[in-house]
Amino acid sequence: MPNFKLDGQEIPFEPGETIIRAAWKQGIEIPHYCWHPGLSTAANCRMCLVEIKAQRPMMLPILAWDEKKKDYVETTKPKLQPACQIEAAEGMEVSSKSKEVVQAQAAVQEFLLLNHPVDCPICDQAGECKLQDYWLAHQTKPKRKETEPVHKPKAVRFGETIVYDGERCIMCTRCIRFCDEVVGDHVLDMRERGNKNEICLSPGRELDHDYTLMTEHVCPVGALTSKDFRFKARVWFLKSAPSVCGGCATGCNSYVDYDPRYQRVERLRPRDNADVNKFWMCDAGMLSYHRFHQDRLVTGRVRSGGGVAEVSRAEAIAAAASALKASKKLAVVLSAQHSTEDNFVLLKVARDLLGASKIYLGALDPAKTGWQGDEILRHADNNPNRAGAVAVAGGPLEGTAALAKAAAAGEVDAVLSLGFAAEVDAEALAPLSRLPHVNLATHGGPLAQVASVVVPVATIAEASGTFVNAKGIAQPFQKAVQAPAGITAAWQAMTELAAKLGHEVAMKKLPDVRAAMPALPAPAGA
Amino acid sequence: MEPNYEDLSDDRELELPAEPMRINMGPSHPAMHGTIRMVLELDGETVVDLDVQPGYLHRGFEKSCERGTYNQCFPYVDRLNYVSPMLNNVGFALAVEKLCDLKVPERGQWYRMALGELARICDHLTCNSASAMELGAFTPFLWCIKARDYLWDILEQETGARLTHSFGRVGGMAKPPTDMFKESTLAVLPAIEEALAESELLLLKNRIFLDRTQGIGKLSAERAIALGVTGPLLRSTGVDYDVRKTNPYLFYKDVDFDVPVGHDGDNFDRFMCRFEEVRQSIKILRQVLDKMPTSGPVDCPDLRYVLPQKEAVYDTIEATIAHFKIVMEGLKPPKGEVYSFTEGGNGELGFYIVSDGSGTPYRVRVRPPCFFNLQAAREMLVGDMVADIVPTFGSVNMIGGECDR
Repeated sequence: MPNFKLDGQEIPFEPGETIIRAAWKQGIEIPHYCWHPGLSTAANCRMCLVEIKAQRPMMLPILAWDEKKKDYVETTKPKLQPACQIEAAEGMEVSSKSKEVVQAQAAVQEFLLLNHPVDCPICDQAGECKLQDYWLAHQTKPKRKETEPVHKPKAVRFGETIVYDGERCIMCTRCIRFCDEVVGDHVLDMRERGNKNEICLSPGRELDHDYTLMTEHVCPVGALTSKDFRFKARVWFLKSAPSVCGGCATGCNSYVDYDPRYQRVERLRPRDNADVNKFWMCDAGMLSYHRFHQDRLVTGRVRSGGGVAEVSRAEAIAAAASALKASKKLAVVLSAQHSTEDNFVLLKVARDLLGASKIYLGALDPAKTGWQGDEILRHADNNPNRAGAVAVAGGPLEGTAALAKAAAAGEVDAVLSLGFAAEVDAEALAPLSRLPHVNLATHGGPLAQVASVVVPVATIAEASGTFVNAKGIAQPFQKAVQAPAGITAAWQAMTELAAKLGHEVAMKKLPDVRAAMPALPAPAGA
Repeated sequence: MEPNYEDLSDDRELELPAEPMRINMGPSHPAMHGTIRMVLELDGETVVDLDVQPGYLHRGFEKSCERGTYNQCFPYVDRLNYVSPMLNNVGFALAVEKLCDLKVPERGQWYRMALGELARICDHLTCNSASAMELGAFTPFLWCIKARDYLWDILEQETGARLTHSFGRVGGMAKPPTDMFKESTLAVLPAIEEALAESELLLLKNRIFLDRTQGIGKLSAERAIALGVTGPLLRSTGVDYDVRKTNPYLFYKDVDFDVPVGHDGDNFDRFMCRFEEVRQSIKILRQVLDKMPTSGPVDCPDLRYVLPQKEAVYDTIEATIAHFKIVMEGLKPPKGEVYSFTEGGNGELGFYIVSDGSGTPYRVRVRPPCFFNLQAAREMLVGDMVADIVPTFGSVNMIGGECDR
């Protein structure tokens, strides 16, 4: 691979690569606003200017202030080049720290802040804003301009999800390019020039495609903010756990941003993975965190007589044990919504210890839930771990409708099911309600409705695990928050249930489960 | 009634124990200031051996400093030597500024010197008068503490707090001097001098005081240096080491003052050194107040390290960002380590700071002068009487907050 020199350091590059991208691949950041590794080059922010050393450098005539003469004098300085646009060349010597570059970075930063409003205290971007970071890194000087800043529209509604603030915008056009290049929807554009420059919607349109929240994430400043996250949390109070989106079978890599003080997830944001989601996530995926806290099952449920009683988790497990004790023909339902570890332990306990022979799969039906895939990220199957559940079972699985049929025919005398998801509704599962039926679920659903005992279990934000996506890539995710009310992962609940039934399961911790599991495809991009 | 020994006939043996007696003094003993324990081995009333055991006031000062931002350390350093907190404030600020390569404006430096000398006077007045009080001389204590209160009034007027000011900031002070600072300081200095003169009149011809100070608690210059002793304790042995003279910081090289030294290294010399240092501090103060500009900035204008003016924070985005960064993330000195030392109330007060480039100190280590001074207590006391422990320990001026950290 050819090399070039950046501030004395050898950087390898592939022919045709720009300086900034080759440096970025080596983990070296040349300051930039408008450049984004996943988007085309605009070279409009001028923050990434570097000096390219040459035998005969291109010199610009300038006027510079001379302190001795107390006057401007004519002189020259090297012409700086945007690192995002210049292709690296063998043996090229680039400086991102020379006197002229440092001066240019400070000047660009000062320029970008000329008309910036004093919004940090009320801006959601504060704490992760490039204007703040680069001011400290590259400018550190107070304001020189004394005139009133230019005012522009604030809090403009761009659609259901995004609010635009023209005054905070630095016109880097990342949002426009994202919509154009990734989504293929030219819904955003720029109007006017100079000081009046602002981002606008196409006439008659709203920002309403499936990737609107990404415009907020590509925005380097606080110009675009998400209505979902606005004024909800301060980012410096949040911690992040690397996770995988549970919205569909693509398995976009994400960060779960949570507030450790309240053990509450505040947002999901994309985590780079070139093999899966590149830099992006869809709106539905990013908003799926609401499910971590909404409509959660936090107590056990036991059906007795005509009604359903809420009981503690421990009582629910005891009731589950007595429901399954006498079973001779147990059927087990794996879940395409739960981690591979959950499915593996469930199946191991049910098949090896309780003698289950019939295995089914509970999964959402995309058609019935109104889910539509696309060519970008959204997979047609909105179950994150169908492949993992199938891999654990060792072959294709029938759905819950087939289980209902088997139950009606008397081939099953008890059911152990995992997850809230089923491709049919509770009515179609009615035959199951006549059997002892234990459901381990995070939320209510058709299976819980027909179950005699429901045990609450942890969501993917509350327990570590692994999803296998549609491409067959196994991707681990990490626990972010503590599950409420002593709730544990489904696999841990299963070991407790097995213990109540007199079977000791040797797996105590997640590494034990992973060691016992058959090998999954290696995690990508981790 | 027991018979008096004089009444007993000479041939009867005294039934005194032949074995040395081991007793505890402290940690809860009124003369063991700041909870310290001494295990004494006594032969009658003579101290055969003693073991000084500090640590009862350990609060994890250094570890606490590794949690917050640099400016959040100031309340902690206040509580090191709580008799002269301003000296600690300035010492810590100078250490961080050395790390950041910051230079405080002239007015700020004079102001720091003035406040520091006020604190030094408070420190020495407290130490000397409390030692005298422990020997039964209550009056000098009341007079000196009354004088100290005048100084505290000034410190309160300047900082808002009488004892723990938390007034230092990296790159400056929390506030500029008040308009009446010079005037009010000059007004109380005669009262201090008067308290000194009157206390000396009461004490220096007092038999009880002289018996417990002259020739008691002696320390040689060689041993003092070997033990790392600094401050008045070292100077009383005749070594003229004062950081303000040997390694001048702030504007100490521009003021005229003497370093008083003793020759015997006993309690009396320490007492006299301290009172003379108060006189020298007053001399310094008069010069400082004369030279300190009445207007001009106190804080360094570097927005990377020093909070901008509040008006600018409200009005300009640059100052808002600076404020945000310093408050939320803390000022970030460059990577590196630094040792900076100043003359504290009890001697060389050093701060060793390691920065990893983040907003939180990676390591803060303090060289507390009285931790080293306390090491000398054993050598000073072996061979003296039990009653000598109290004035000698008093003259060591062990401050628990600083010694135990």
